[in-house]
Amino acid sequence: MTTIESDVPGMVWKVSVEVGATVEEGTLLVIVESMKMEVPITSSHAGTVTKVCVAEGDAVSTGQPLVEVDGAAK
Amino acid sequence: MTWQPELDELKLRLELARQLGGSEGIARQRKRGKLTVTERIDMLADAGSARPFGRLRGSGEYDESGVLKDFVPAGKLEGFCSINGRKIVYSAHDFTVRGGSSDGAHGQLGQEPGAAVRALEWRLPFVRLIDAAGGTVRSFEKIGRTYLPDANPFTQNDVRLLSAVPVVSAVLGAAAGAEALQTSLSHWNVMVEGVSQVFPGGPPVVAAALGVQIAKEDLGGPQVHVGRSGVVDNLAATEADAIDQCKRFLSYLPSSVYELPPRCEQDARTPDSTGLLSLVPRNPRQPYSAHELIRSLVDCDSFFEIAPRYGTARVTGLARVDGYPVGVMANNPRALGGATDVAAGEKAQRLIALCDTFHLPLIDLVDEPGLMVGLESEHQGIERAAARLICATIDSRMPWLTVVVRRLYGVGGQAHQRPSGMYRRYAWPSANWGSMHISGGVAAAYRREIEASDNPEEAMREIEERLRNLSSPFRTAEATGQDIIDPRDTRDAMVEFVQDAQRVLGLQLGPPPVPYRP
Repeated sequence: MTTIESDVPGMVWKVSVEVGATVEEGTLLVIVESMKMEVPITSSHAGTVTKVCVAEGDAVSTGQPLVEVDGAAK
Repeated sequence: MTWQPELDELKLRLELARQLGGSEGIARQRKRGKLTVTERIDMLADAGSARPFGRLRGSGEYDESGVLKDFVPAGKLEGFCSINGRKIVYSAHDFTVRGGSSDGAHGQLGQEPGAAVRALEWRLPFVRLIDAAGGTVRSFEKIGRTYLPDANPFTQNDVRLLSAVPVVSAVLGAAAGAEALQTSLSHWNVMVEGVSQVFPGGPPVVAAALGVQIAKEDLGGPQVHVGRSGVVDNLAATEADAIDQCKRFLSYLPSSVYELPPRCEQDARTPDSTGLLSLVPRNPRQPYSAHELIRSLVDCDSFFEIAPRYGTARVTGLARVDGYPVGVMANNPRALGGATDVAAGEKAQRLIALCDTFHLPLIDLVDEPGLMVGLESEHQGIERAAARLICATIDSRMPWLTVVVRRLYGVGGQAHQRPSGMYRRYAWPSANWGSMHISGGVAAAYRREIEASDNPEEAMREIEERLRNLSSPFRTAEATGQDIIDPRDTRDAMVEFVQDAQRVLGLQLGPPPVPYRP
């Protein structure tokens, strides 16, 4: 089980996946907005989304969990 | 009649010293998941290169006739060793001996100088392997009095070292009291996940002073000092990783300010720069990866990031270009849009000071929207932070290459120009710049026209459009001669700059005109 964290502070602008979605390494999960930049957060592993920890509009900080992905490690 | 009995006693004392604090102390160290000081030194030093000094310092136990029964060495191992063929000085705590706490220096005549003095006088890098419990009030009972905390006669060596040789501190356990200070009297430091804490006063002191209960990991562990305070630059997964990072960091620097950094020609592989033409998105709201930018320009696998979790709006680190060590910094558009907040400014300032002190050219990859705005930034004192950054920029002498990749604005942008010495700036076709951003700037400067118009929003858009048409970097270049290049040619320009820089760096050897301040 992998937790994808935000590597930057900002606000959750778009959540692109829901629980149960199949993702690959590099699949877009969340877009965090900060200072007018749309920062894409992508999955580091292939697998299935088991938890979405944030909602659109939430403030996030660096290191904050965004999405949990269950699947075989790379 | 020979001196063999004394030689036998010497052999015995050294053998007893090798047992550190005894098997019980060693077992406790292992139980805490920590390595012994001998294991750490074996990991740090090239095989067979360790040359300890002062190994006879400690406490002897004697029988009634005055014959040595047992010997416990002092809680610190110091000496010379080589790392990857280069000589350094190390100073490592032995936590198995009285928790590594100092018994208080008594200042007797004839004391052998410590490792810090050796490093200073031999002009060698200084490595601290810190694992200590700090001072203890037990020593008051032991000597029957209290003492003044006059550590500065010793600490002044630590301060002088900072402008003389590379100093690194690896926190491999607790760094409390004096050791917390020493953690920061370094050019770079590292701590270990689950093992290390840094604080001037630990949980008992905090409880006594503030009435607050807090566990030592929560008070001074990595989530406090690597991510939040920035007091510790890097995080290691294990002690072996920490020691490895120490070696890596030192490999980019000379042994002292009197020499140039060592060149590594054999590993200087050219990166693939073909992706650079499309790295910067045309959509200004889309960021690119600052790490990918750096990797596409410096020698393959040569980038060592400093403080990756602090001040994330700026990426800073060391790398090689054509085998020559360089400092690299890049705005990170993913974090705060790449704006310079207090933490990012601090990272930049420290990298500038490191490069100036140890004679590394600085490569500055710029996408700067400006200083971070907003109330939080104001509370943090962005103005004084910017002043310190600008002073560091202007005071620096080392060759400085700026590449404007995208934005360059305002006072934050000002900090990317070094107005003296060997300084060169290139811009990419994607570059845009100004004293202020057009959006935001128009609303302020053209307020009257906008308010007087029938359709203020339309008027503002029209004015913004008018100004944007003037913002092509080529128009600026007509007036100023600014060089604009194909992004894919940046690597070659960088290599030539770094090669040219060696001649200038050779004329800057010696201590920095401005002392290095942590």
